[in-house]
Amino acid sequence: MRGGQIDRVKRQLLREAVADNLDTIRGLPPRGLRPRWRFGRVFLRRAPLFLIPLILASFAFLSNTGVPSRAKAVAPPRSIATQPAVVRASAAPAMLMPDTLEPVSASAFPLSVHRVVLDAGHGGTDPGASSISNISEKEITLDIERRLGALLRNGGFEVIVTRSDDRLIPLRERARLANGSNSDIFVSIHVNSLPQAQNHGVETYYLGPTNDPKLTQLAAAENLSSGYALADLRKLLDRVYADVRRDESHRLAAEVQQQLFSGLRGVDPGLENWGVKRAPFIVLVATEMPAILAEVGCLSNSREAEMLRSGTYRQQIAQALFHGIHAYASANDMPQKKGT
Amino acid sequence: MSTESEILHVGIDLGTSRSAISASNGERFVVDSFVGWPADMVARKVLKRDVLIGHEAVANRTMLDLHRPLERGLLKEGSEKDVEAVRELLKHLLRLVGVANGKVDSANVRAVVGVPAASLRTNKQYLRNSMKGIVDSLMIVSEPFAVAYGLNALLHTMIIDIGAGTTDFCVMKGRYPGEEDQRTLTIAGDSLDTQLLKLIEDRYPQANITVYMVREWKELHSFVGEAPKKVLVTAPVKGVPTELDITNEMKAACETLLPPAIETMLDLLSRVEPEFQERVRANIILSGGGGLIRNLAQTLEDALKQVGGGKVTHMQDPVFVGSDGGLALALDAPDEDWEKLTA
Repeated sequence: MRGGQIDRVKRQLLREAVADNLDTIRGLPPRGLRPRWRFGRVFLRRAPLFLIPLILASFAFLSNTGVPSRAKAVAPPRSIATQPAVVRASAAPAMLMPDTLEPVSASAFPLSVHRVVLDAGHGGTDPGASSISNISEKEITLDIERRLGALLRNGGFEVIVTRSDDRLIPLRERARLANGSNSDIFVSIHVNSLPQAQNHGVETYYLGPTNDPKLTQLAAAENLSSGYALADLRKLLDRVYADVRRDESHRLAAEVQQQLFSGLRGVDPGLENWGVKRAPFIVLVATEMPAILAEVGCLSNSREAEMLRSGTYRQQIAQALFHGIHAYASANDMPQKKGT
Repeated sequence: MSTESEILHVGIDLGTSRSAISASNGERFVVDSFVGWPADMVARKVLKRDVLIGHEAVANRTMLDLHRPLERGLLKEGSEKDVEAVRELLKHLLRLVGVANGKVDSANVRAVVGVPAASLRTNKQYLRNSMKGIVDSLMIVSEPFAVAYGLNALLHTMIIDIGAGTTDFCVMKGRYPGEEDQRTLTIAGDSLDTQLLKLIEDRYPQANITVYMVREWKELHSFVGEAPKKVLVTAPVKGVPTELDITNEMKAACETLLPPAIETMLDLLSRVEPEFQERVRANIILSGGGGLIRNLAQTLEDALKQVGGGKVTHMQDPVFVGSDGGLALALDAPDEDWEKLTA
């Protein structure tokens, strides 16, 4: 490329880089996914539907104000003809809509949290992870679910559980139960197992794509007993970019992760904070409310496996989860209180 | 509004392993992306510092609560300590180039920061929030785009940027690269370190080695294909310094990068308009620390033969190529754009 051409391309690239940054600041989705173009096409296709009445209304208005017009021969229905000013006023913003569409912000829907679905990971013939001392993930998650359920009920929440005993419930069934219960949030409880036995920490997932092969592997393992066909999965994955639910899930995950780490580090100073992560776990994809999956410990770490045996430690985990859910619910309630 | 003399433009390559800064006052620095706080009162007394950054932090890690705030090129979410660490790292980089240490009376810092190609908007927003109060205006761009911009490689070029956390691919088509033009792999320097450590431990179970030692060896001796020479390193075995031959392990670890890198390179090439594919194949640039792996460019060229051949070149000094590109972007962006990009 010649110097002048390079400068022109650079100017163009800079403009696009700045526009991309401004989109990020405004919270807009990537340009290719933005509804404005689709809306624009729909607008063009459907424009005649409201442009024709608009033109007719304009003719009627002109005729009413004494301007001679051939449009009298095709006068519009009276309801439109008698309100020309209203039609004109509303028509202008309608023309601008394709350029003024803003993404829906989660803060526009400060939902109150009343009903919580608790999902104890694994169960029945699927024990999940297990420790050397033969304690299984399914047993721990069920116990923590029961403890957390009691705390939530005492705190005024309504609780739905996906399993209340040691049985295998397919992931599809768990999602169906959650969606059918009209619940506000979904919290799935799991326990990690890692190849590096010395590592132990807590992490919380929310729905989203990941390019981390380890997370993909983990999600594939957890999704094994989903009960979904490939075609269903494709439809479900289309929802991965549902912005509002993802933002809310992220907030819930952040609150829970913070409480898990701060609540448990006191009793386990070596505990690591692995943060909030995205992963396409089926229970997160298929549920229709803000949903998270918390990995509350590591059975592969012998010290932590011992701790997970104890009811006291499980109660502490349940309490940390409760505080996270409560913090999220309280933050959601706040704007409503301010508004009233 | 600030006057020209008060403005400092900087390009920052915020890397998982190393972070580099290039400033408009001519200063350039690179630091290891490690931040550590004294673990207790004793450590604080010994170190006489509230926070240590970079090589110093790694060297004193036994006394520190050590953080590497970036994971696969992205700020770890949900961890307040890592957010604090990245802020300390950025403040340190800015101090190095003269901000707030008396060398520059800069009231207005305009920064361009490179992030992995496949970063989501939420990642960028999170980074933007974390940089509040540290810089005045901020532009976040994909790291390979910054590299391409700095090299004027804007048209019919592919950048392969192999960092510690991610390997980024970006095809430049004379427009701002979109999702379809970029790919990010998490197989990169760090995963090679982990693999190499495992292989050496398997072969020399008595040897006492750490990932820091392995990283240093990799940076000195990495290669794919034919070994240029034997890779001999010294490590304690039962406390005795012993020479170890890790040639095969080095080769095996480095070559784990090849299948995904070749597949991604060919896949991106296949998505270029057919009439331009040959030109892109002839303009493939390797950057980042991983670009220095011996024989890598040649091996990628060999892989290109199956689609008609091509030319892969690597940057001799990849350390500042990203931050220099960021600085070029920062300097070229007009004032009115910077005013819209307030941090």
